[in-house]
Amino acid sequence: MGKYRIKAYFDEAYPPVPEKSTLFWRKFVPWQLIRFIILNVKMIRIVVGGHS
Amino acid sequence: MAKVVVLGAGVSGHTCASFLKKKLGKHHEVVVVTPNSYYQWIPSNIWVGVGQMSIDEVRFELKKVYDRWGIVFKQARALEIHPEGDASTGKGYVTIEYTAGDNSGVRENVEYDYLVNATGPKLNFEATEGLGPDKNSYSVCTYSHAAHAWEHLQENIKKMQAGQKQRFLIGTGHAMATCQGAAFEYILNIAHEISKRGLSKMAQITWISNEYEVGDFGMGGAFIKRGGYITPTKVFTESILAEYGINWIRRAGVYKVEDGKAYYETLDGEDKVQEFDFAMLIPSFSGVGMTAFDREGNDITDTLFAPNKFMKVDADYAQKPFEEWSADDWPSTYQNPTYNNIYAVGIAFAPPHAISKPMTSVTGRPIFPTPPRTGMPSGVMGKITALNIAERIHGATEHRHKASMSRMGAACIVSGGFGSFDGLGASMTVFPVVPDWDKYPEWGRDMKYSVGEAGLAGHWLKVLLHYLFFHKAKGYPFWWLIPE
Repeated sequence: MGKYRIKAYFDEAYPPVPEKSTLFWRKFVPWQLIRFIILNVKMIRIVVGGHS
Repeated sequence: MAKVVVLGAGVSGHTCASFLKKKLGKHHEVVVVTPNSYYQWIPSNIWVGVGQMSIDEVRFELKKVYDRWGIVFKQARALEIHPEGDASTGKGYVTIEYTAGDNSGVRENVEYDYLVNATGPKLNFEATEGLGPDKNSYSVCTYSHAAHAWEHLQENIKKMQAGQKQRFLIGTGHAMATCQGAAFEYILNIAHEISKRGLSKMAQITWISNEYEVGDFGMGGAFIKRGGYITPTKVFTESILAEYGINWIRRAGVYKVEDGKAYYETLDGEDKVQEFDFAMLIPSFSGVGMTAFDREGNDITDTLFAPNKFMKVDADYAQKPFEEWSADDWPSTYQNPTYNNIYAVGIAFAPPHAISKPMTSVTGRPIFPTPPRTGMPSGVMGKITALNIAERIHGATEHRHKASMSRMGAACIVSGGFGSFDGLGASMTVFPVVPDWDKYPEWGRDMKYSVGEAGLAGHWLKVLLHYLFFHKAKGYPFWWLIPE
């Protein structure tokens, strides 16, 4: 993690890898608290709409 | 008084039994038949497999809960279904065999008015030569398998600490295995544990899968909104693997596992070998192998069950080309078409077709994932079946509750490490599980509900779900308010 093994012409060379800022936001607690609430709301919407 | 027999106490069976009892009360009888004395919250087995949770944190004894609820608990396995009864009784019954206690091995016929088959899968290790915890690979499909995997994983960690490089191979151990999500979660957790100990340079971690593209997950992949683009889960998943330093092999049908070697064929027909020091490979699933007999004792197993031993329900099982399959082929009430008092939920029902496009290698070996039916969809099926049966017992003539996998969404949280502030979770939601290209011609699914992101929030959600579902499964106060 954080030590990518990217080598051209291999499958691993082509996907996007996160920048430092992305890694920061992923673990920045206030922002993740907001994401936590948003994810919960999205999931509840899915659950409610999934069966009748 | 009506009697409902539920076979199996996994996510689907346990949910079904709990709602049946809640709706039917003391006036009707609910019986649960299951060979294991414990309920296990399977998603958390992954954390047992990396030493972050103990076995007792992911299971509890069923009898205590069922005694409190007033559900009759029989620790036994179901062997035969006699839906028409026999010469001595006109009532349907199930032949069971006790698996524990003084009456271990004793058989009994349990009559029913309604039967719910929630037996889950048989972990079909035998379908791959040399596969399985008793042979050359590990598994996280049960808590005991996961604990066994962790015992041995520690040896590999010690070897790396002693300066010996180790190769880890995680993925699917059969050309048509499903449950890629569990294997994906395990590989991320292994990578996290190795990284946490500063041993990344000593490890070569490889993902092996029968998916056409990584991120297919047996549901034909998905599209998600991410970074201003509509992105396929292939990119999302490969991105996470690359970040964790994991390389991957796809389109691989593993057919033999030896000590330290996995043999596989690719869709191109190439025969290859991947060497490993530690392998966790998911087996193929089949039905548990119950048989069925009519009133005269004739074998009618083929009437009740599909060839893969899963039970037929209200799906369209007509053989058609992949391009002609539709969302409406999927079942919504899980009622057997021949015997209307029998239902099959969770993994026990026979899916009408694969969700991922069927692919065959040049030598004729089918290499693609079969449909996943675990987790959230299993719980929903169990609940709506319980509600429908309870209403039928109370006089309803139609099924008011429906839940088709082509009309229901799924939320999948893949843990990528454990810890309140250093754990990670990859959260993915799709709606519906089975793509509906008629209703959503552009992306197959509703993009409003399709999300994919990584972060601490996902990890918190996964931990929260662990405790919420235990609360629910144990029947603690207001358990029924927790949605499936």
